[in-house]
Amino acid sequence: MKGLAPLFLGIFGTFAFSWVGLTVIPNWQIGHLNPQSDEEGTDIYPLPQSGMVTRGARVYAANGCNYCHSEQVRAEYAGADIERKWGDRRSAPRDYIFERPVLLGKMRMGQDLANIGARAPKEEESPSPTGGASPAPQGAAASPGAVASAKGASPPPAISPSPVTAAATSPGAIASKPPTSPGPASPPPSKSPAAAAAAPSPSAPWPEQTAGLPPMYSAAWHHVHLYSPRSINLDSNMPSYRFLYQTRRISDARSSDALQLTGSDAPPEGWEIVPTYDAKCLVAYMMALNQSHPLKDVRSAGAPAAASPAASASPAPGGQPAK
Amino acid sequence: MNATGIPLKEPAVSAAAGDTEQFERALIDASTRVPVLIFYTSAVAWLILGTLLAGFVSFKLHTPDLLSDISFLTWGRVRPVHMNVMVYGWASMAGMGTAIWLMARLCRTVLRYPLLLVAGAGFWNLGVFLGVCGILLGDSTGYQWLEFPSYAAIILFVAYTLVASWAVLMFRFRRGEQIYITQWYLLGAFLWFPWLYAAGQLMLFVVPVQGVLQAAVGWWYANNLLFLWFGAIGLGTAYYMIPKVIGRPVYSYHLATIGFWSYALFSSWTGMQRLVDGPFPAWMVTASIAATILTLIPVATVGLNHHMTMQGYFPLMRYSPTLRFTVFGAMSYTVFSLVGVLISLRSVARYVNFTQASIAYSHLGLYAFFTMVIFGAMYYIVPRLIGREWRYGSLIKLHFWASAYGIGLMTLMLLAGGFMQGASMENPSLAFSESVESVMPYLRGRSLSGILLMVSHFIFAYHFGLMLFGLGRKSTVPTFLNPVEAEGAEVAH
Repeated sequence: MKGLAPLFLGIFGTFAFSWVGLTVIPNWQIGHLNPQSDEEGTDIYPLPQSGMVTRGARVYAANGCNYCHSEQVRAEYAGADIERKWGDRRSAPRDYIFERPVLLGKMRMGQDLANIGARAPKEEESPSPTGGASPAPQGAAASPGAVASAKGASPPPAISPSPVTAAATSPGAIASKPPTSPGPASPPPSKSPAAAAAAPSPSAPWPEQTAGLPPMYSAAWHHVHLYSPRSINLDSNMPSYRFLYQTRRISDARSSDALQLTGSDAPPEGWEIVPTYDAKCLVAYMMALNQSHPLKDVRSAGAPAAASPAASASPAPGGQPAK
Repeated sequence: MNATGIPLKEPAVSAAAGDTEQFERALIDASTRVPVLIFYTSAVAWLILGTLLAGFVSFKLHTPDLLSDISFLTWGRVRPVHMNVMVYGWASMAGMGTAIWLMARLCRTVLRYPLLLVAGAGFWNLGVFLGVCGILLGDSTGYQWLEFPSYAAIILFVAYTLVASWAVLMFRFRRGEQIYITQWYLLGAFLWFPWLYAAGQLMLFVVPVQGVLQAAVGWWYANNLLFLWFGAIGLGTAYYMIPKVIGRPVYSYHLATIGFWSYALFSSWTGMQRLVDGPFPAWMVTASIAATILTLIPVATVGLNHHMTMQGYFPLMRYSPTLRFTVFGAMSYTVFSLVGVLISLRSVARYVNFTQASIAYSHLGLYAFFTMVIFGAMYYIVPRLIGREWRYGSLIKLHFWASAYGIGLMTLMLLAGGFMQGASMENPSLAFSESVESVMPYLRGRSLSGILLMVSHFIFAYHFGLMLFGLGRKSTVPTFLNPVEAEGAEVAH
């Protein structure tokens, strides 16, 4: 080859081609997504993260949690994620618009965490990352049970783009669902720990819930798990994160934050183990990981099967429920 | 050892040209001596640190309680430190040192103001050091291969600008119109890296893109770093070392041209296949899978070219350390690409996407291919800078076999383990913990391979140290792996 100019142009050209093709065009396509909302603009998803959650994401990244845990649910045809109950629909770009850094992950030495917050016991689940921003106190996002049933009631969003979410998440639809439910062919995946304990499915992460522990996936449970993973699951190969916790003498009363530890992990009499602020942020971040809200452009699992009873009661425009 | 009739000397061209050319080459080598040795010494130091960290990380993966109570020794911090030390400390510095030396030789010009490059090496070391400390203290950004916090990234970029502009400027003073194949690759590498690094930093930290695109930019960066930076330096070096050592021109220039441009075009479009089935438009992933398959074109042309050049000269690998390492690396490039194609296919990726198999892929590229080529280059270059020959042929042999078996075992363990892990993970009737259990024996095997690599790197560092302190052999004959026999001499004729 002779002459530098063609060489230089070729080197620059191939790079520019790749840069435009793989970063600029995707950015133009999905780089400016907005949260979705219903027609009244009330049921907004996703919501911006609170300060604690944002800080928690940084703690998560700084300690390399993302090297073992992914935060993405693949579609049914692409893997067993949904069968493993890691979510009831695939993850979509819109789920992540407020995340920074985005911690999709490339390895599963531990479970997928995309919906770990949604698996928390009902009363513990934070209604939304920002708390007060939730429009209706009885809003669908507040309770996982309601979300699940609402999702069961909604027809496939692919068919009716706009009014579905509004209909499915209106309080009326939720209220009408539980009593009238005749047990559809495939009930929405149960997320309460009680149900998981009652009927341990083989894919449940830890079928045997150890006695004396806080309810599975509650904030208190996460703290115990981070502090001493093998007190919960003997086979776990997760490192413990004791450096995120503080052992201190009980001054007058035991702190409400103190970890409920048993056995050899328990602190000596008169001492308690409390989470540092970073640990609290980390758990807040995990509790906020929740993609259970339906998205208009993504089909949820179980949506077609459970369509009939509740959906007919919902004020959705005709046509869709007749599946 | 019989020194007469040894095939492993300068190619016939230079022998015919006579003493002036020999003298000129010695002058050029001398001018690169200080900066290249500084790059190499730092690289070897980082290599040792990275190897120790690798062993630590590997053991912690199956022994999670090992020193886990100390925040800066937690697995999730040591692992990115290991990766970044290897990528920016060892591989980049050794690659830059080699590239500078090759540039000077091929442009047939003495290196002007070598002290500027020394400053560049110093700043680069500072950047890596600060980045490592940052990650250990909990400042990691969380993006693969871009974990260094911004204060370290800026220093790295400044250092790089210093080094690269100097290397590229050598073209201004070059003699002769012909630009050799190696120079295409090196010029490419030196220009691609800063664009890539700047684009990655800008789109992730300065004007961050939204949501999942951060992951796309991150993988675009990581994959292109592997191909356009390390891959280009590695291939360029192989294109120099193989013909040089056997004293025979490259088989085909046309093949080399096709190989280079198809490499630049297709390999730069890979990366998104790592995000397969993630929350992305499907066309992005599909485009990268297609590009990954198309990289078989450069693989085939480069592989064929090297093979035809080597045709009839393979027995020389018995003697020349450089040739043995370089050919191993060049062959690994083919294996690396084939594995890349295999695990990017959707039907396979479904199983191996979230498993240890992707770690095997990175190690194949960065170690079996790039690092082995660079080892080979260092065995060639260092004696020419110091004026002494390597002291022990046996140590080089040990180094080679420990490295070759180590990386071979590691690749097998991680690939097999990854497939086992993926098969269990994709079977929802098995508990998730079973998939972790199923990969554990392979991870222990991987730790074993880590010990082999550790042995090999310590041997190399010791040998390199002997050279640095002037304890090499004083001889005009290079150090061979085996005593040269009569038949070895015949091969060359």
